[in-house]
Amino acid sequence: MRAPIGFRISNRRKSLKISQAALARLVGISPSYLNLIENNKRDVGGALLQRVALHLNIDIDDLTGQAEQKLLQDLEEAYADPMIESLPFQPDERRQMVAQYPASALAITRLHRAYTDAVASADAFADRLRSDPLLSQLLHQVLSGVTAVRSSAEILEDVPDLEDGERQRFLAAIGRETRNLGAVARNLIGHFENASASRRSVSAAREIDDLLIERTNYFPSLEAAGEALRMDVEKYGRFGLQGLTEALERQFNVTVTIGGPPPAGPPDFPGQYRYFPELGTMWLQGATTLATRQFQLARLYGELAAGATIEAELDEAALASPAALRLAQRALGSYLAGAMIFPYSPFLEQAEAGAYDIDQLRQTYYASYEQVAHRLVSLRRPGEEGVPFGFLRSDPAGRLTKHFPLPGLLLPYSGHACPLWVIYGAFRTPDMPVRQVVRFSDGSRYLFVARTVQRRAAAFHEPPVMASVMLACNVLHADKTVYAQGLDLADNEADVEVGPTCRLCTRTNCASRQEEPMAPAPGGENLRATLVGDGFALGADG
Amino acid sequence: MREGEIARLGGALAVDILIAEDEPSILESLDFILRRAGWSIESVTDGEAVLERVRRELPRILVLDVMLPKRSGFDVLKQLRADAPTRHLPVLILTAKGQQQDRRIAEELGADGFVTKPYSNAEVVGAVRQLLGEDDRSS
Repeated sequence: MRAPIGFRISNRRKSLKISQAALARLVGISPSYLNLIENNKRDVGGALLQRVALHLNIDIDDLTGQAEQKLLQDLEEAYADPMIESLPFQPDERRQMVAQYPASALAITRLHRAYTDAVASADAFADRLRSDPLLSQLLHQVLSGVTAVRSSAEILEDVPDLEDGERQRFLAAIGRETRNLGAVARNLIGHFENASASRRSVSAAREIDDLLIERTNYFPSLEAAGEALRMDVEKYGRFGLQGLTEALERQFNVTVTIGGPPPAGPPDFPGQYRYFPELGTMWLQGATTLATRQFQLARLYGELAAGATIEAELDEAALASPAALRLAQRALGSYLAGAMIFPYSPFLEQAEAGAYDIDQLRQTYYASYEQVAHRLVSLRRPGEEGVPFGFLRSDPAGRLTKHFPLPGLLLPYSGHACPLWVIYGAFRTPDMPVRQVVRFSDGSRYLFVARTVQRRAAAFHEPPVMASVMLACNVLHADKTVYAQGLDLADNEADVEVGPTCRLCTRTNCASRQEEPMAPAPGGENLRATLVGDGFALGADG
Repeated sequence: MREGEIARLGGALAVDILIAEDEPSILESLDFILRRAGWSIESVTDGEAVLERVRRELPRILVLDVMLPKRSGFDVLKQLRADAPTRHLPVLILTAKGQQQDRRIAEELGADGFVTKPYSNAEVVGAVRQLLGEDDRSS
């Protein structure tokens, strides 16, 4: 579905009371050509669109409708909530709402987001109460203390012939236990205070999402810094493990240690790397891959050398919570490392030449599959764009743990995606890239490519940490990638018919459906119905 | 004169009640009330010691706390039920967490009775008496 970009240009121009001829002159085209654009009879993009946006003093995303599209997607998600999904909405209500009352639509999506965050933190608290080892230990102490006090008090009350020594013993026990109970109570209170301080992480992740979406995951200042830093490192030798180690040592007095236990802190530290600023040491676990070492050293070097650049980006982002700030800091540090390891233009050039073959790119840059996939998503430099990709990562439980959006493709924020997506299928064939052409119910088609990635285990007892990463790309661009080779992209007979998640999907006849859709088709509410008679629908209002 | 005392007078070492409890204050009061009710008492404070003591001198009943150091009460109970000499030893479980799940596990493992902390002294005495089959005896 093409966004009616011409109408938006026309509306905006009229509201600014600029004539068609005047705008045409300003942007350097003929009035008749502008007329064609405004009537949606000619495409507009690239530098011309930028000039139009500039002279109409409007954000390019507002003109292209991307902002609106995003709002519509968010609104769809809000309306799919089981709380309200069975209300009798008009079929086109959400679209109209976005078109006519964008602020109200935004208000609903914000409230829905705040609500889901609140629900998530309530769930987190319930889980905490059920399974928190510290809490159950404290409760055990309370019950033991109360038992001892009660039992001793009963003895003092009920036994008339207690000897003095015995009386003293039980009085002392009561005193001791009540003092203990006081300490336990204080501990409990402190526990809940800590718990409430750490519960913000749910919405922090979303704040980061918003930041990345707003910037289309491309940060010019970090790209520039990355390029400059790479040249700095190259003064100490070829860019890579050796150059980075040397640069860290000479410029920042940081020693890199690989293997053995970490130089401080618990010896069974679960992470693969750690920086000890007070010791001037960067420690990497012996089991880390070359790619991980290079990446983490680049990240450290970037954070030390270009901390101010990262800070400036963070200031601009104006994130609300400290947790979001920390996550953003980390994300931007990783971005900078990516920009250093994969310099934009040469990387793009090679990616294009090699048809975006991730495994081929890995060899040139000594990088991991995930690092390369991640970098491909950021090839959004205006005027020098690569194929637009979306990115998703899932853990083996199906939970989405990282995502970078692709305009037009509805990737769920969190939770689960559609079970048919190859991001899950990839777990069945570890280390092997798998692909699929999918079709959503609105007819849009994408090429999905997924592969599992795994952290190298450091010991027999260490459970392997596996994840699946997936790149998504519009079928229209897919022919530029190696992953479409041998596929007849024009033939949609073999498309896998998917949705975003069950709730947001309208395919009522899908065998993989686990939840009712938000707008069930008439007669379609037969999921888990009884065999005979009228069943009840999951999530339907009782 | 009751069985336990007769046995002891007769030179045997059989004790009426073995208490396995690691909280000193609770152990102290349990020891006092059960002794006062007329039984002979011995006590241990961790899970490994329970097994060792029970195997050496079979008590008439074991009062077993669930949360013990070294080996949990569940673990001890499971082991006791697996060994022929202790298979039918009456075991009274003290659950502290007040959770249904603990009780269910103990039942599955073959516990004979339960007292939930915080208890009244009379509850413990009553439960022990019932397990010893001295219900009708007035103290």
